[in-house]
This record gives sequence, C-alpha cells and structure tokens, in this order.
Amino acid sequence: MKFLKNVFSQLHSFLLWALVSFLVWSWVFAFATDAPAAQKVTVYCNVPALEDTALAAKLEENLPQGLKMIQVRSFDYVMFDTGTIDKGDLFILPQSAIDEYDGQFTPIVGQEGTLIYDPETGQGAAKSYILYGDEPYYLFLGAGSVHLDDGLAEEIAQLLLALS
Amino acid sequence: MTGQIIELYSDADVARLEGRVKRWTIGLWALAVGALAACIAMAAMAGTETAKRLELLSIAVSTGAGWIVIYGGVFVVAAGRRELRHIQMLRTEERVRQEGSPALTGQRVRIQKSITARRVELRDRGPVRQVMVCESKAKALEKAGASAVYTTHGYVAAYEVTP
Repeated sequence: MKFLKNVFSQLHSFLLWALVSFLVWSWVFAFATDAPAAQKVTVYCNVPALEDTALAAKLEENLPQGLKMIQVRSFDYVMFDTGTIDKGDLFILPQSAIDEYDGQFTPIVGQEGTLIYDPETGQGAAKSYILYGDEPYYLFLGAGSVHLDDGLAEEIAQLLLALS
Repeated sequence: MTGQIIELYSDADVARLEGRVKRWTIGLWALAVGALAACIAMAAMAGTETAKRLELLSIAVSTGAGWIVIYGGVFVVAAGRRELRHIQMLRTEERVRQEGSPALTGQRVRIQKSITARRVELRDRGPVRQVMVCESKAKALEKAGASAVYTTHGYVAAYEVTP
C-alpha cells in the first residue's frame, strides 16, 4: 500500500523518465546503426507489407566493397520526411504511384523502371520479404542517389532482383 | 520525580540509518552506471538484424533501472538524509521537557524538504498538548509508556520512563 502510494506520488517522474529513455535510446540506436550516404544503399519500398530488417540482412550477405550497410525502409519514412526521397538509392513503387513521384527517379532500364513484380504471373523478386499488392511494381534508381556513378546502386538492384 | 531518559534515536539507530543511506546510494549508483554501460554496449553491438531487438531491450533496461533509481533516490536515500538532518537537529538544539503520556493521533504531516511526522497528544497531566514525532519512531514512542517527553522545536527528541 505504502509502495503504491509512493509510486503514485512520483508518477510524473516515472512517466517523464520513460519518455526520456525512449527518445534518447531511439536516437542513439538510429545514430549507431546508420552510416554516411556514401557507405550505404537505401531502398524505399511502397508496398503493403515488408520485412525490412530481414531483407536488409539478406542483401548485406553480399555487400559490395565500399558499402557498410543496406537500409530497407517502408514508404512511411518518406511520408514523415519528404527530404529523404531525394536521397534514396532504390525505390520499389506500384504502377499507380509512379506518376506521383515522376521526375524523382532514374529508371534502371527504359523509362518505366524495371518490373519487379508482375501480378498476372505472380512472379516477383524478394517475395519472401515483400508482400506486393494487386498491380505491377517497378524498381527505380533514385535520381539523387550518390551511388549512380560508382554503380553500387545498380549492383544492389541486381542483388534485389535476384532474390526469391 | 525524574525517571529514566531514553533518546528517541540511539547511536545504533543513527549508525543503521547512515549505513542504509550509504548502501542504497552506492547500490543505486552501481545500478545506474551498470544500466548505462549495458545500454551503450547493446548500441555498440547492434547490427542490421539485431538493432530493433536491442533498441527495445535498451529502452526497457534504461527505463526499469531509472524507475528503481528514482524510487530509491526519493524514498530511501533522500528520505534517509532528511531524517539524519532531523536527528542532528534533535541532538544538538535546545530541549524542553513536557509532561504527559504520548498518544498518537491519526494526523500525518509531510513537512516540505524534511521528514514526515505524526502528531502526538500528551495526556494525563493537565491540558492536552500536541507535539510531533518522526513517523519512523511514532509507534515505538507510543509503546514505550513514557510519562514525559523532551522536545526540540516541537519534535520529540527523547522520552522519560518512570520505573
């Protein structure tokens, strides 16, 4: 009883500490598990569901020289920070969203990007990690990617396309 | 007639309280430093696959340890230090003898930046008067069967037992 009374009398401190703890360690981990743009390739996926961590870990198994990490992000990240879309290296987009981001991408092959999922045949890349919707999905290189010249963005794109 | 005067806080009580405050202070510092070191180690070890799990674990460790430190810091260490300051005041400042058998009232008084005290009524000898006693010693005082108390600034510092 006394314990509970004490806890309630300091409830504001406990709640404040929980918030501080969450913010501090979220920031520390975001910082600790990040790398400069030149040492990472970021893949943004506009898909219904995504196993981002598992996909990133799989792609990192064959990490090309010069890269420290692969980041796989849901498109929710772009919604929170529209600046990130300029810095993304690879984008997986459904047919219906391409016009919305027209001008942001450099297609790998042709003007429409590389088909990564075909709903008619059900064939698609990295299907163990990505749940696609009912329309075609395309893979694009980001127009603002720092890995266009060194070929690393395209190399990761090929790794991604080769995944089952 | 004067009976035996018994200090409310014996030297052993003071030593026990000082030891408790010291042990808790060391323990809480160790917990805080240990939790911080563990969280830093987890952040340093985090890889792509383990980052989310370790981040959640770090938040849980840091939050849990922080709660223990807050609780212990406020209710054991700070409260103990306040009680030691109170004892110091009882032992060094002028005392007044007041006759009457102490009986606890239900009233608790939380004094800002000091102890939590209980109101005590002195009965049996003339008009009823009120004094205060530190909560941790309230029951001991009531059970002692004192016939008079010695107060410092209205707080019981010692009591008198008539054989």
